Amino acid sequence: MMVPLGHVVTLAGLLFTAGLLGVLLRRNLIMILIGVEIMLNAAGIVLVGASAYWRHPAGQLFALLLMPVAAAEVTVALALVIYLKRSRGTLDVNRFDGMKG
Amino acid sequence: MMVELLFLIPLLPLASALFIMVAGDAVPRRVLTTMAAGAVGIAAALTIWMWPLAADGARATLYTWIESGPLQIPVQILFSRLSATMTLMVTGVSFLIHVYAVSYLHQERDLRRFFSLFNLFVGAMLVIVLADNLLLLFLGWEGVGFCSYALIGYWYRNPEFADAGRKAFLTTRAADVLFGIALLWLFQLTGSLSITAINQQAVMLPSGSVTAVALLLAAGACGKSAQLPFSSWLPDAMAGPTPVSALIHAATMVTAGVYLLCRLFPLISLSPTALAAIGLTGAATAFYAAASALVQRDIKRLLAYSTISQVGYMFLAVGAGTVTGAMFHLLTHAFFKSLMFMAAGLVIHLAGGEQDLYRLGQLPKRAPVLFWLMLAGAVALAGVPPSSGFFSKDAILAACFARATPYWTGLGGLGLLAAFLTALYALRLVYLLIAAPMDLPSHGQAPLGKTWPLLPLSLLALTAGLLNVPHTLGGTALLDQWLSAPTGIAPARRMEWGLAVATCLLVMAAWQLIRNWRRSAPVFTVGGCTRFFASGWRLDKMIRAVLTVPFRNTGRWLQRCPEKWLTLVLPGRLGRWSQNAGQAFRHVTSGHVSDYLSAMLWGTAWLLIMLTALLAL
Repeated sequence: MMVPLGHVVTLAGLLFTAGLLGVLLRRNLIMILIGVEIMLNAAGIVLVGASAYWRHPAGQLFALLLMPVAAAEVTVALALVIYLKRSRGTLDVNRFDGMKG
Repeated sequence: MMVELLFLIPLLPLASALFIMVAGDAVPRRVLTTMAAGAVGIAAALTIWMWPLAADGARATLYTWIESGPLQIPVQILFSRLSATMTLMVTGVSFLIHVYAVSYLHQERDLRRFFSLFNLFVGAMLVIVLADNLLLLFLGWEGVGFCSYALIGYWYRNPEFADAGRKAFLTTRAADVLFGIALLWLFQLTGSLSITAINQQAVMLPSGSVTAVALLLAAGACGKSAQLPFSSWLPDAMAGPTPVSALIHAATMVTAGVYLLCRLFPLISLSPTALAAIGLTGAATAFYAAASALVQRDIKRLLAYSTISQVGYMFLAVGAGTVTGAMFHLLTHAFFKSLMFMAAGLVIHLAGGEQDLYRLGQLPKRAPVLFWLMLAGAVALAGVPPSSGFFSKDAILAACFARATPYWTGLGGLGLLAAFLTALYALRLVYLLIAAPMDLPSHGQAPLGKTWPLLPLSLLALTAGLLNVPHTLGGTALLDQWLSAPTGIAPARRMEWGLAVATCLLVMAAWQLIRNWRRSAPVFTVGGCTRFFASGWRLDKMIRAVLTVPFRNTGRWLQRCPEKWLTLVLPGRLGRWSQNAGQAFRHVTSGHVSDYLSAMLWGTAWLLIMLTALLAL
């Protein structure tokens, strides 16, 4: 039995919203990164669901592509997090206001 | 005979000018002066050699100067009967004046500047004379204007002289703007700037435009030829060295305006209004300047006013419709006026730089040859028969009276009155040179070497009138036949004779007046009337009041109000305003990552909404 597309999209939307809220509301840089990852995976779920619905492999291919991209992104981001922690001594994003006008 | 050789006539003086400009200091002075005079002399010889070509009109094109769509400006010269005559006069007189200048200025230090400009002037003048294209003519026109400016201010260390140059430049430039407008208008009307083409198409043009263009052209000519109301620069232009006054401000450049009107006569003659205006300007100027010349103290200023007056006659001739009359007087005037200027220069040198007529007397005793030369010029100027001035002036007045309308008879009468004044001031000049006391230390004799260029001119001044003795007076009217240009309405036999007799009587009356005056001692009386005429009818003051002062006041006002507001107040306010705006907006950039992210979110949301709305439409 197929999972209906509507369910998949709803789940993805909920996940995306959760990730977005995490990105917007959290102050800790690591939590923000987690929010970004959740948003990326929400997009992945939609791709896989759509691929199954239309019986077309492109969506799955994209999802497969998404995983290494997300992994690479996290790798770089975590390196930056470590650098920031060392140089500024904190991970509170509100303390990083070097771009204040 | 190669037609292209005609280009050598203007190019020789130009090349010589260029050489002197670049390498004048590297060669001995003798080489420099020989080259300057020689280039003009060869040009004169070339003109004579090429003379047979002029009978049928020769045309030569060097290359196309400007080519843009319908605008075709070939560097083309036209060696017609009219332009050949003018070329011969310009090169011949220029050569004699160059020779004169070599000895006249031998003590000058900066000969290189003088002779390069002098040669450049001759080249530019020949471009005016020979050009068949109005734009090329305009190039020469501005060229002579520049040379005139630079040579009037030749002794530029004297601020007054430099000012005189600037005045000449600015006044003629003001008229040249009108000339330029006429040029553009003509191009718009006919699609061509070739003088020949314009003259051919002139009949088909709307009469209103023709009148306007002709008036604009006449105004341009008035500027160059120092006619009212542009005349005030010429008396001041006497600040230049005397050869400059003789060449530029007597013989050639100031007659360029008349020559232009003669070249474009087929166009101008289509507008009776323009002809009437030209005639009126000419007659009024002739009278105005003759009255001013009558009371001048400075010998060169007297000659300058006399030049203005005589060029006025040429304008009157063009207005009366006789191109031949204008050219005839142009030629004779060039001979006797350049002669008088050169003689005056020698008189001034002899008195050690003194220019006051009332201190230059006793000339026959001090320098008899010079006096006789001066007398020859004055006789021609006064119009004593049978000198050249008599015939050329009579031809003009006859053409006026022959029109037999009250307007032209009035102008002719004014011209006759001016002729009387001319005789009066010419004889007064001679009388003062004889009778005024000479209390200055003599500066030796005038060397004969300096006077020989004056001899051919004096001969021409006395006899050139025989070139064009009208048939009614038993002559052959050679110039009429050669130029085969419009001669206006032929005057009746009786009128021609009557006019000749009237002119003779006027000259005799003037002579009597001067003789009576001679009994009393020559003292310069300074009355209000004298001062009025001596200052050129207060023309300078009038121009200052009407033009200069309002212009300056407008300038000041513009500087005080709009300029200050536009360049200081407004930019200052704009700057402050944008600074304040920047200060207000800088708070938007908080530096907090979450703010940027939410801004991005709202932006994306807005974009999506807009796209949805667009798709829904």
